[in-house]
Amino acid sequence: MPRKPHNLKRPRIRQDWRKENLYNLSRLTTPPAANKTFFQQKWTAKSLARAYHSPYVREGTWTRMFDRRLPSVVSMDHRYLAKYDGSEQASGRGAGLETPMQEQARRRRRAGEPFRAEDAVAKRADGRPEKTPYPQMTFHPLERRLDTAIWRALFSSSVKQARQFVVHGWVKVNGKKMIYPGYQLNPGDMFSVEPERVMFATGAKKKSSDSHVTDHGAFGGEVEEGEEAEDVEAREEGEGEESEAGMATIESAEEREALETKPEDEQDAKKAMKNLIARAKRILEDSKRDLSGKRQQELRAFSQSVKKTMSKHGSGKEDAAIDDTVDGFETALAEIMTKLPEDAKPTQSTSDVQQSATAAASAEQPTLSSNPQMSDPDKEDEYIARKDAELLSAALERARANPVDASKPYATPWQPRQFMSAFAFIPRYLEVNQKICSAVYLRHPVARPGLAEVPTPFGGETMELAFNWYLRRR
Amino acid sequence: MWTWLKGPGKAFRKPLPGSTNYLGAYDKQGQLARMKNNRDGDQADRRRNEPEALEDEDVAAKRDMEDENLSEEDRELRAEQRKIARATREAEVDDMDEREGRPRERLTDLRPYPLNHGFRSQPVLSEDLREMLYIQTVEQGHDLSSVAATFGVDLRRVAAVVRLKTIEKQWQAEGKPLATAYSEAVLKMLPTTPFKPNTNNPVTPHEPINDLPVHPSTRPQIFYPASESRSFTCEDAAAVFDRKLLPADKRIPLPMLVDLEKWKNEGLNRAERTARQIEKDRSAREEAETKERKKLEWEERTQRTVPGRRWDFNFQDISAEKVGKDGRGRDAIGFRYGMPHIDRKAGVVKIPTSVQ
Repeated sequence: MPRKPHNLKRPRIRQDWRKENLYNLSRLTTPPAANKTFFQQKWTAKSLARAYHSPYVREGTWTRMFDRRLPSVVSMDHRYLAKYDGSEQASGRGAGLETPMQEQARRRRRAGEPFRAEDAVAKRADGRPEKTPYPQMTFHPLERRLDTAIWRALFSSSVKQARQFVVHGWVKVNGKKMIYPGYQLNPGDMFSVEPERVMFATGAKKKSSDSHVTDHGAFGGEVEEGEEAEDVEAREEGEGEESEAGMATIESAEEREALETKPEDEQDAKKAMKNLIARAKRILEDSKRDLSGKRQQELRAFSQSVKKTMSKHGSGKEDAAIDDTVDGFETALAEIMTKLPEDAKPTQSTSDVQQSATAAASAEQPTLSSNPQMSDPDKEDEYIARKDAELLSAALERARANPVDASKPYATPWQPRQFMSAFAFIPRYLEVNQKICSAVYLRHPVARPGLAEVPTPFGGETMELAFNWYLRRR
Repeated sequence: MWTWLKGPGKAFRKPLPGSTNYLGAYDKQGQLARMKNNRDGDQADRRRNEPEALEDEDVAAKRDMEDENLSEEDRELRAEQRKIARATREAEVDDMDEREGRPRERLTDLRPYPLNHGFRSQPVLSEDLREMLYIQTVEQGHDLSSVAATFGVDLRRVAAVVRLKTIEKQWQAEGKPLATAYSEAVLKMLPTTPFKPNTNNPVTPHEPINDLPVHPSTRPQIFYPASESRSFTCEDAAAVFDRKLLPADKRIPLPMLVDLEKWKNEGLNRAERTARQIEKDRSAREEAETKERKKLEWEERTQRTVPGRRWDFNFQDISAEKVGKDGRGRDAIGFRYGMPHIDRKAGVVKIPTSVQ
């Protein structure tokens, strides 16, 4: 495997999600066979296929893994099996009479009706059964490898990265740490990758290490600059909304949490305060342009005082007292927020959101009404306010599940990386639960009429030649 | 490359809402191939713009009440039907809105690798369907094979879904953060098998459930003359290929479906079929128990345990012939003279072959 995997002059398809790879895929053709000897054709096919399928497996290892018997299945129809004992296929002149079922299927096909599951064998347009694409299964033993399976389950952006995850100990097989990328999964094995690593691998890149914004569109060029700018603006607005709204209401929710978990442990109090600092920082970042210096100072003072409390806490202060101070800080933060000038908030919609947020907060927590906006509830359109509150709580739920956090190694809120959708598919031999970033290797990949389960970018001819290359030594 | 990325390749930068976004779905100019003669899309627009095709629930209910020919049950039945029709329509409209007027993907649009016509991105289970499978098996306690047959999901997949869901619930209970954002984004990019309760068509079969593996001994073509008058069945054919090979209806993962269908063809009614099924399940269970008991008896007979001061020593009869021709038989026991273990060599990575 060369250090630079994508060479535009000598294109090779690799197991990764890079844009170079996508470009190479888009112009991939079956290599011309004219003016080439059979050996040359096989050589080209084999080198193309190997560059994709087994860059991390040595040739000798692979030739030992290669198996000329390719696995396949035929799906049976239980109704057919119940009705016939098989003698109908040997009747007539020996090739079998046409059963009423087959006849019906043929009629349906003629009438242009879609294929049904009971037409046991998939048929081509000319009525003959679909061929089983065996050549595309040539590299099926490699799909058993742990690193490949991780990539196929969409847990990493390339096989190389999947290897790294395994080697670095982020991967478990059946709940036990597995550090060998070449581990051959057995049917029923469950592998899981650390969710944070998966989010990093599949998430959008950060602009810089200390920001949370993505650099998507950095390569857009002049053509899309307008759109790009709009995009960025829209995104920033969205984030502004989220974080501002977060300012106004998340604290109410968190406070509730804090109140509920009050006496339990010091960890919660600490976490809450860390959160507070982060939020204060966010206020600064979000509305730096329009925020007056005084307000900024106030916020900085706020975060410093939180820090001070934390250090005090570390030196052994009572938990209850700390929680009181947390409450105090929360109200202080809310007050600071209300004092923010309207134009410092990114958009009108934001302030709307905030109003509804305060409405929601007041609905949820009438006790905490240091906020002047809460004191005069909007009675005439209560319904709209409630609707807004519902919407907002849903949005907040989403925001809390996918928060803005500059400390993460990926752009937040999390979004898929560029060009991921063109490569996103999960083969049937894996069952993946994305929420816990785990997957089960159900069975070995198989071919069935019309369909091969080993994903390979090459056509049947190329794979047939590659298969023949490895067959040579058997 | 940059020209391509700014031109036809631009479509791939972000996922297409409500659809998959594969190379195979676009033409050379970067246009969605299925938009060319977009009859489906036009239809969708018409459906959306047409006035509410279904009458209002209140009006219909009132009319039913006034109609004296209807009994109370009829009214309930009709109300139920109206409810289902409404839910179906809502689901359709939601689906169309999500696709933004684009037609559904054709099979050719699901090719991530346009050259490989033998591969396409196949649907995965939607979140609703996974939840339903979990509820059916764990909470309602149905057995895996009947759930698999009902929902058209492979038996092993049902088991895997339950296993993964259990862990997910455990994480939720522990308060461990789930990768929800990732999950949502990925499931939007993939084709999914939906589960739409309360509609005309709640269950979409996910995959063929009775896959018959092609047995290696059936690969060679055999010329086997049989007389014309002979009824040459599956079982006979299997015996020709290999004396131990079972016929197809016994080798499929859910042979119970064949039995059920056979009983149906015999003209048994539902109660009789259920009774037979229960009887069959019971005998299968008994057989398994007998087997287990016999195994235990065999172990008791052949294995001796000698309690030591710190360890118990288990003795068992072995056969020295198991080592095979090369002396490295899989089930062979012990060290062989002149046969060094390769895995003891320096520099050989000892990758485990299984993890329990």
